[in-house]
Amino acid sequence: MTISAIGWPAGWTRQRRSQATIVTASLSLLVALWVAASFIALAPAPIGPNAKFFAEGMVVTVELTIVAGLVGVALGLLAALGKTSRLLPLRWLSGFYIWVIRGTPLLVQIFFVYFALPEIAKSTGSEWLSQMSRMTEFTAAVLALSLNVGAYNAEAFRAGLEAVHKGQFEAARSLGLSKWYTLLDVTFPQAFKVALPPLVNNVVALLKDSSLAYSIGVVELTNVGARVQSSTFQPVPILITTAILYLVMTTLLTQITNGIEHRFDIEGRRA
Amino acid sequence: MSDSTAKANGAPLITVDKVNKHFGPAHVLRDVCTHFNTAEVAVIIGSSGSGKSTLLRTLNRLEKHDSGSIVIDGISVDDNPKNLKALHAEVGMVFQQFNLFPHLTVLENVSLAPRRVRGLSTAEANERSMALLDRVGMQAHSHKHPFALSGGQQQRVAIARALAMQPRVMLFDEPTSALDPETVKEVLDVMKGLASSGMTMIVVTHEMGFAKEVADRVLYFDKGCILQDRPPIEFFDNQDNPRIRAFLGQIAN
Repeated sequence: MTISAIGWPAGWTRQRRSQATIVTASLSLLVALWVAASFIALAPAPIGPNAKFFAEGMVVTVELTIVAGLVGVALGLLAALGKTSRLLPLRWLSGFYIWVIRGTPLLVQIFFVYFALPEIAKSTGSEWLSQMSRMTEFTAAVLALSLNVGAYNAEAFRAGLEAVHKGQFEAARSLGLSKWYTLLDVTFPQAFKVALPPLVNNVVALLKDSSLAYSIGVVELTNVGARVQSSTFQPVPILITTAILYLVMTTLLTQITNGIEHRFDIEGRRA
Repeated sequence: MSDSTAKANGAPLITVDKVNKHFGPAHVLRDVCTHFNTAEVAVIIGSSGSGKSTLLRTLNRLEKHDSGSIVIDGISVDDNPKNLKALHAEVGMVFQQFNLFPHLTVLENVSLAPRRVRGLSTAEANERSMALLDRVGMQAHSHKHPFALSGGQQQRVAIARALAMQPRVMLFDEPTSALDPETVKEVLDVMKGLASSGMTMIVVTHEMGFAKEVADRVLYFDKGCILQDRPPIEFFDNQDNPRIRAFLGQIAN
């Protein structure tokens, strides 16, 4: 199921078609969230009467995904640059971050950020740190999810950076491009293209993993389902509804990322 | 210093003095001494592993030499960032594998460095780049990406890209070795045009026809040393060294 396959006018360039796909898919996601309440309201009880809660849960899930997704991409890029850096302390720091995050459960990380960080901050005696660490459930969830997806993104970016041919650096160097412009104009665009499929995997996984924010009381979609279930005692329709709403969101998200991949597909391999 | 380098233009543009380079246990450049003059076309030949590409790459610091000195137009080739910047503005390089930027169009490939390094506006850089693409016969392809071009076309774009920085010296590292036979000529023709315009060129190649026709000097590399440095007529027609004769015989077949 792809929007990019519905065929934009034949005369359009690849850039224009991919842009149209990205815009259409993003708007579809917004519209889906906008109309979700009235659409779900058409369903019979126990779903229909709780439509508003389901729609609100979807919005929170999307918010968690978008904010943590953007922060996670930035973190991932920084960690990947750190890991491929010539400076040993940076390599060590990035390696440590990736090692810890990938080696521990996300649920533990969420609990750690929400329950343990404030304790640690308090023990330092710093008023400012204590203030900073007292986060809302939503902020704590975003922070933990960002750190988590960032570590996985780092490996995707590293693979991309390492896939860039040595000759590209030599050409950039012989032209006198600075390190910054070499990264910006030459290395990063090529690395990003290679990293894109695994990045997309990570972001789709993030949307689903955001359900763990339920554990610290964020009222996202899974939490809404659980609440409705505990008040109606009807697990089957409620869990089916929850699953369908996740499917709708991941499908629309995949449309956006397809559009982005299409944009980088210079050779026209995806047609 | 070889007397065959004497060309009317005077002081050497590039001086290479007692340069040594090791790759692990391999001693790839041994006390190499030579110089290159302005507007001179020098062709470097030799069997693979003889150090000819390495010498070329030390000239613009893609490889660091272990000892000795290289001075290009008064700029010492070392790790001083100021020198490196000046060096890269003076020396253009063309690679065996072209090394075009695959995600950029032909025009963007050529105009990138003038914009980023020289600070030209996009309009100025594009104008200059189109003129250079015209010079290498690639103006009609300016909107294409490298994957859509033949090897010869890509290499011509790579030459235009190097020229866009207005270098005083152009280094060619086996520019036709990765090409299909039928596209070799179009690249050599561009290089001949460049030579006749007075560009200083140092070319590592196996194209003996090009060396005979265009070169002012032929340098033969053997085991990290310059075994011979002569004008092409003497080198090809009156070769007295049996090893070089054997090498030329192999190339001819």
